[in-house]
Amino acid sequence: MGDIILKTTDLTKKYNNKVVVDNLNIEIRKGEIFGLLGPNGAGKSTTMNMICSIVHPTAGEIELLGKNPWKQKKEVIHKIGYIPQELAIHGNLKAWENVELFTSLYGIKGQELKNAVNDSLEYVGLLERRQEFAKNFSGGMKRRLNIACALGHNPELLIFDEPTVGIDPQSRNFILDKIKESNKKGATVIYISHYMEEVEAICTRIAIMDNGKIIACGTSQELKKLVNSGDENITLEEVFLTLTGKKLRDYAE
Amino acid sequence: MIRYLIKNNFKLMFRNTWSVAVMLLGPILVIAVLSSAFSELMKSYEGVDEFTVGYRIQEATETNVMIETAKVAREEAGILFYEYPEGEIKDIMEKNGLAGFVEFLDDTYVVYKSADYEVEGITLEYFMNKVMNAGVNVSLQLQEQTDIVLPVEELEFMPAVDSIDYYGIIYIVYFCWCGMICATGVLSNEKKYGIVRRFQVSNISESQNFLGKFIPITLTVTVGMAIATVITVLLYDIHWGNPLLSMFIVFMMIIAGNALGMMLYNISDSLVITIIIQFTIVWFMGFFGGSFETYMFSSISDTLKHLSPIYHGNRALIELSCMGESNYVTSAVLYSVAITVVCSMIAILAGYIRKRGRT
Repeated sequence: MGDIILKTTDLTKKYNNKVVVDNLNIEIRKGEIFGLLGPNGAGKSTTMNMICSIVHPTAGEIELLGKNPWKQKKEVIHKIGYIPQELAIHGNLKAWENVELFTSLYGIKGQELKNAVNDSLEYVGLLERRQEFAKNFSGGMKRRLNIACALGHNPELLIFDEPTVGIDPQSRNFILDKIKESNKKGATVIYISHYMEEVEAICTRIAIMDNGKIIACGTSQELKKLVNSGDENITLEEVFLTLTGKKLRDYAE
Repeated sequence: MIRYLIKNNFKLMFRNTWSVAVMLLGPILVIAVLSSAFSELMKSYEGVDEFTVGYRIQEATETNVMIETAKVAREEAGILFYEYPEGEIKDIMEKNGLAGFVEFLDDTYVVYKSADYEVEGITLEYFMNKVMNAGVNVSLQLQEQTDIVLPVEELEFMPAVDSIDYYGIIYIVYFCWCGMICATGVLSNEKKYGIVRRFQVSNISESQNFLGKFIPITLTVTVGMAIATVITVLLYDIHWGNPLLSMFIVFMMIIAGNALGMMLYNISDSLVITIIIQFTIVWFMGFFGGSFETYMFSSISDTLKHLSPIYHGNRALIELSCMGESNYVTSAVLYSVAITVVCSMIAILAGYIRKRGRT
């Protein structure tokens, strides 16, 4: 395993008196595909928002690529590619215009920007549809475009927040293949999802988060061993439910 | 990076057909309705018959000036001056049915207007203002003991603006201040679809973010207003005086209106609140500034009128239209610059504070 790319130390977030992230300590190494699982309200997105300097931590430290993303944002932020859960694209812009807009935010311009736009669109299989408005795309195409918008500046760390919600199996497989491809090319990936089979299929290490804490972390096999059910064919979902309980989580993060 | 942000935001705003339609059709329709509704009222303003006013000269005043003023007034403006050396001015006006009264003091003059002769009072005020503007010239003539000649060629000024010209100009001004409507599509999409987060996870600074929206909004509103102006000129034959200066004033007010909107948005972080507050502010500024009731006939106090930036813009543009010049050009521009600078700074500061204090 490579160097530590992300480290949080006692990372805490409180909203009023409610603790959403509770003394979180995680380490992610370069080259990993790190899966983050957890029920609704577990604190996954808040954690990622703090790492991406969107939400200010109440306490604790974040070290991203050796820097503090809150104090040295300019030096580190361009190394992150953040793919939000929402389709964060403009429907009234064409596919290439969307990628151009969001890639340019990292200071890329001119021919380099044009190349980056084409490469990103080609990577997600939308180069031939580059002139079409995003609002006319299918759900799967929008998801792919959403990813392309975060790839243009060639980030070292890719954060995917539920990138396969509401799309068909073909698009899902395409996206998962591309995540693996990005990882092989050298990108470290943090993958947040509710789909256990996806996480199991692509992640090298998985953390299960609940009530703001990491309650288990390891490879898929290590997590299954944690739950001593005697069933050799236990699924990751069963492990998840055993660790987090079956009670409904209806609150939002 | 800001070039691409401006370019794409400009495209987004222009592709938002609803807001562009409002900015284009809004002035065209409102001008048609209001100019038609108030055409009779404005006609009375156009055709002022000969009327009588009184005057009084203090001993120290150079009487030659008044004699020449009275002569020019009768010939050029149909104002008959009669001297009333003694008595209470109010009583004299009531007793003699005077439309106004001018009291010449040592180095100034006071114009009294009758509520029963509103239009004549305004005409008198304009006349005196114009004559006294020429006063420097006259003073020089007095010092040199030459024959006193008032520059009568400059007196073709009578504020004969008709309702179409008035509302045609005033509603272009009014809609300039509502330019934030062009940004509604972009701003609501940014919030609704989490695009704001993409900006947060990037190198973009608050001032770049501000300019990335402010410049395209200004460009969009400017293009929209230019098109609306051309259409209304072609449709209604509206006369803009000094097109370049008028367009400059309109442009400055577009900038000020957008800066105000951006400031409200960055403070409130809510598009709905921004639009409600901005439209309320603009409504009051328009109410005080002659956007609904003409500023000439308005019963609103001069203090309130002068507080409204729209009043300065309206008055400058209307006077440019019917007189070819206006003393309000400078104040209209200065007001706009001040609003732009102050609101822009607060907008950037509010965005920065919001970013730093994000919870």
